[in-house]
Amino acid sequence: MSDARLRRVNKEIADCKNDKSSKIVIELIDNSPYHLRGSFTGPEGTPYEGGHYEVDIVIPESYPFQPVKMKFITKVYHPNVSSASGAICLDILKDAWSPVLTLKSTLISLQSLLCSPEPNDPQDAEVAKHYMTSRSSFEETARYWAQAYAGAPGGGVKGGAKGGERDEIAIAGLEKAHVDQFEALGFERGKVIDVLRRLNYRGENVTKISEDKVVQELLKN
Amino acid sequence: MHTFSEDPTVTTCLELQREEIRVLESIYPYCVSTSEDSSKVMLKLEIPVELGDAKTVHIVDDGSTSVASGSDHDFSAVTLSLSSLPPVLLEVILPPTYPLSDGPLISSIHVVDSWMPRYILLHQQLQEQFQPGEGVLYTWIEWIRNAEFLRESGFLTSNKNAEIIRLPHPQPQLLFPRLSEHDKNQQLSQFSQNSYTCSVCFSSRKGAQCLLLSCGHIFCRDCLQGGWQLYIAEGDVEHVGCLDSSCVKEGREASEEEVRRVVTEEEVQRWKWLRQKRMFERDPTVVHCPVALCQAPVPQPSETVEEGSGWERLRTCPSCNYSFCSFCKRTWHGSLVDCPIPLSEKVILEYLEHPEGSAGRRVLETRFGSRNLTRMVLRYQENKANQQWLESHSMKCPQCSVQVEKSHGCNHMTCAKCKTHFCYRCGQRLSVNNPYQHFSTPGQKCYQKLFDASELGEDDWQPMEAYAIMEENNVG
Repeated sequence: MSDARLRRVNKEIADCKNDKSSKIVIELIDNSPYHLRGSFTGPEGTPYEGGHYEVDIVIPESYPFQPVKMKFITKVYHPNVSSASGAICLDILKDAWSPVLTLKSTLISLQSLLCSPEPNDPQDAEVAKHYMTSRSSFEETARYWAQAYAGAPGGGVKGGAKGGERDEIAIAGLEKAHVDQFEALGFERGKVIDVLRRLNYRGENVTKISEDKVVQELLKN
Repeated sequence: MHTFSEDPTVTTCLELQREEIRVLESIYPYCVSTSEDSSKVMLKLEIPVELGDAKTVHIVDDGSTSVASGSDHDFSAVTLSLSSLPPVLLEVILPPTYPLSDGPLISSIHVVDSWMPRYILLHQQLQEQFQPGEGVLYTWIEWIRNAEFLRESGFLTSNKNAEIIRLPHPQPQLLFPRLSEHDKNQQLSQFSQNSYTCSVCFSSRKGAQCLLLSCGHIFCRDCLQGGWQLYIAEGDVEHVGCLDSSCVKEGREASEEEVRRVVTEEEVQRWKWLRQKRMFERDPTVVHCPVALCQAPVPQPSETVEEGSGWERLRTCPSCNYSFCSFCKRTWHGSLVDCPIPLSEKVILEYLEHPEGSAGRRVLETRFGSRNLTRMVLRYQENKANQQWLESHSMKCPQCSVQVEKSHGCNHMTCAKCKTHFCYRCGQRLSVNNPYQHFSTPGQKCYQKLFDASELGEDDWQPMEAYAIMEENNVG
């Protein structure tokens, strides 16, 4: 049984090495074949384009009869990915897992999840709300994250890719004018960002949420 | 005949014949058997008829028996889909001069299960294919094997989309099971001989080590066993099915036969138990036996009882024979006795929590009967309204618990039933000798509340003045 698991995993790693066309990479992290790192590039025509996304892969004892455990190592701004932990909400990683799915096919599914978010089944409710409220603002933020964390090419990020100075307002998907407005009232910048992000102070919502409401939230705790 | 053996032509023919037979035996190891005597070579050919992709086969009544017996024509034609037909048996004698000058002699033609009428045409067509100088046996075998002979003799016809085989037969309904059984066996033996790549372990296995599931997906038995054993052990009965991703998404589960072929009897039993458990959990009419040590699922009795008669509440546990009421889960209290209120109240409250026409309500309606529930709800609401009215409009006597309603007057009450004095505001028992102390002592909760404010008129009576006048009237 565990022999079969080892044989299959080794075969999968080898198959992926031999297949250069899919551009999916699976590497060993240490010497164990059961803890791997997968990576792929962000799909074209999406805010993730050009980014390099790494995924932590843990192969459970009863693989392939039970699903592989995957989460993003690279930070991703996406409704079905936790912006904090990288946890992924995808049916094939849970109930809809089938033993004929492979590490490679699952990574490809993750790649296509980046193309087609499912905001109605969110892992990150705040990001999902952002996506539903203003698609363009959401995409801007997702693109900023791709540049800031996944090394996607692009102008917006000072210092270019990883490690550079990041704009915390852009990361929160907010507008500088809004943050400035409440900061001017004497609130700490970090707190303003936190509250506005939680309130989803974007797009149409800006007109719906009164300033009093924001101040009320800012005064809490 | 001995003279022939000297003939150089005959010697060449014999060599050619032996060569041809050797080739046939290596191509069709199971179809050819030969016997040779001094003068001639005899061959028995058993030629399977393969139709490739499954084809529609109509077996039609040829009229030979139905006319004679005058039987009805209800079963005059049957249709089935086949990918093979029972073999054609040919007995062939190769004359010494075959293949240089004479063709093979066909000594008999037989079609297994006699699915084809009239062999004469076949006989003739076979012999026409011979051309002096060339071996014809391979051509014959292929012509029969790939069913070309059916086309040339008019049994197989093609229209735009499909090829249809039409076989006249005296008793279609007798031929039908034979053809279908032969086809099944044929497919099975073909499956065992082929190799398949299991998409779970990626290894190539002989069909005998694999299982073809009803959905058409093939997995090796080891992988099916590994997965199904795990799922059965973990109680994950939904996943005991095809392992393919599309089938998993559709929730395609294995049949009992498939499960039996893969896992042990003990696991089959557990799988069946899990399935039954799940079925009961999904079925709202099933309740669990209230005996703590039993808890077996008790389905609704199959015989229908009139809804509203009270009998529909009776359940008898098939496991421990305990008879109980499915509403209150207590020992059966007969059809006429209502359940103790608090227990049925729980059901009613749950029912009322769901909006009208919702799935939640339907589940309870299936379990308890909608008429029953409606009646219970009505009674419950009436009781509740009564209760509320009593609470807001009356006070319980602290001695005999009779509810007393005050129509007018002061709050000092004397129970009409047991003559106990009590306060209508707080229900407290009052001293017989000095009942008004309760209302006149500062600091008491009913101080100065002998009359309710609302009842004080414009005259602005003071309580202390009023008591003497009202004393006679204040019995509720």
